Amino acid sequence: MKRSILRHSVVGGVLVLAVGWLAAPAQQSQSVTCRPNYDFSVEVDGVFPRDALFYQSETRGSGRYFIDIPACKDGLLMDLGARKIFAVPRTLVSRADNGGVVVREVPAQGAAYALAIEGPVINFKAEQKKVRIMPVLMRPPLTGPIELATLVADRPEYRAGMKAYAPHPESIDAIRKSGKPIEIEAFFGTWCGHCKEYMPKFLRVVEECKSAIKLNLVGVPKNFGDQPGPWQGKSVQTIPTIIVKSEGREITRLGSQPGATPETELAGILRALQ
Amino acid sequence: MRRAIGHIGRLLLGLVFLAAGLLKAIDPAEFARQIGAYGMVGAGTAGLAAPILIALEVTLGVLLVAGAWPRAATLAGVVLLLLFIGVEAYGIRAGKTESCGCFGAYVQRTPAQVIVEDLVFIGFGLLALWGLKGWDGMRAGRALKTVAIAATLGLALAIASPALPIDPWVTALRVGRRVADLPVAAQLSDVGEGRALVAVLDVADPAAAGIAGTLNDLVPRPGMPRVLALTPADDEALAAFQWTALPAFEVRHVDRPVLKRLYRRLPRYFLLEGGRVRTVYDDAAPEAAELIGTEGS
Repeated sequence: MKRSILRHSVVGGVLVLAVGWLAAPAQQSQSVTCRPNYDFSVEVDGVFPRDALFYQSETRGSGRYFIDIPACKDGLLMDLGARKIFAVPRTLVSRADNGGVVVREVPAQGAAYALAIEGPVINFKAEQKKVRIMPVLMRPPLTGPIELATLVADRPEYRAGMKAYAPHPESIDAIRKSGKPIEIEAFFGTWCGHCKEYMPKFLRVVEECKSAIKLNLVGVPKNFGDQPGPWQGKSVQTIPTIIVKSEGREITRLGSQPGATPETELAGILRALQ
Repeated sequence: MRRAIGHIGRLLLGLVFLAAGLLKAIDPAEFARQIGAYGMVGAGTAGLAAPILIALEVTLGVLLVAGAWPRAATLAGVVLLLLFIGVEAYGIRAGKTESCGCFGAYVQRTPAQVIVEDLVFIGFGLLALWGLKGWDGMRAGRALKTVAIAATLGLALAIASPALPIDPWVTALRVGRRVADLPVAAQLSDVGEGRALVAVLDVADPAAAGIAGTLNDLVPRPGMPRVLALTPADDEALAAFQWTALPAFEVRHVDRPVLKRLYRRLPRYFLLEGGRVRTVYDDAAPEAAELIGTEGS
């Protein structure tokens, strides 16, 4: 009797293990649909490659993220539940219509890398490259006068925010046709969350109305109140501060509260000026 | 005439102290956090100083309004205001721009505004000192009793306040309020008329992972409203929370002074339906059955 129980237990145990072994790769090989997440930056060997992007699974809470580093042979699927990064051959990754990616399959036998979570930063090494995933606001800031093209090339979150914003066409038309060019001095911080929300909308408007707006863009450091720079003497208390000038004289400042639409505000200012 | 001006100064200064003490007493924990934010004392000392300062202000206010030891109370008030100005000056020097909490958590002032305000209040005090020369106010025995009662009540209020059910009156979150009228309307604009359970939580709090687990269990259930969270925590704390708690719901950052208007204690939850706040839940998230049961009823 005892032997029979023992035999059944062993057989049962082996069956459970076998099912578990079979189920594990099956679960891992499920397809994962991801969309870009511009709240995080990908640092590779101390630099932020322009096209390195971070994607998060459409299934919130799954703990799965896709990391696309062009210099890496494979795509990288981060599974926070498993605390691992799985290498995914690029042939198994396709582009989705919404700018995201679909990882069709994660090979069970592929390379896997360990990761370490240090507060807001995830560290790992893949294909001999030291990779860090961090909030975009933690990146070293861009400071001083800066060209719009340089900012857009350097910061994917601004690029994506500008692309996603749809300004009111009537207001854009009104700005273009105003016939009275205005100068705008914009103080912002690449480390500032409000700026990350507002500035891409504002910059999209500036880009669409290039002929009517002359822009001076200035990146400010953290503690800008204590540091010398072009923001001094201009009552820049908070950022972003958008100073609208006409004929060299400040006429007003734009509001950057959540939900603000810079094109309607600018169109209104220009109407008032006429 | 001189006496009348003195009484006006005394009453104004008394009412200022009374209002400041009572408004702070609404949310002593936030006042303690604001004291700690100056970086002059640690969190433990700030937690101890908050109820004492509240009791002191309430006592001074009562003494001045009641006319107990008027000149001594005025002098003590002026000294306290000078001390506050010193603290604010230190705050400005240290680059602090956030609210001081002088009139509680729900009245926002910058340190520079506070200094101007305090100078005006000192003016009331000087008028009282000048005008009440030779006036002793109520008898010493009664004054002593007034001090004892005011101090005891002030301290008791500061200690008991967090447990008092006054949230619907002292925060901007109450049942029936339109989403468009909430301080976080912009952050909830995509909810529209739909159903959503909103959790207000501090993701930097060690308990937040457990809360995420509870909410994660709710998210996949059929008939459940959309779940999202609002947090005053910064980007770094939010990222750390995302990596470790794996929330199955969206977490949005809202500036602390804006979000603070919704709560005294965290976490707090509210259910939105038809563009209005339908239910507010304090401390614990609602049960799944409760959320499914409320749909369309």
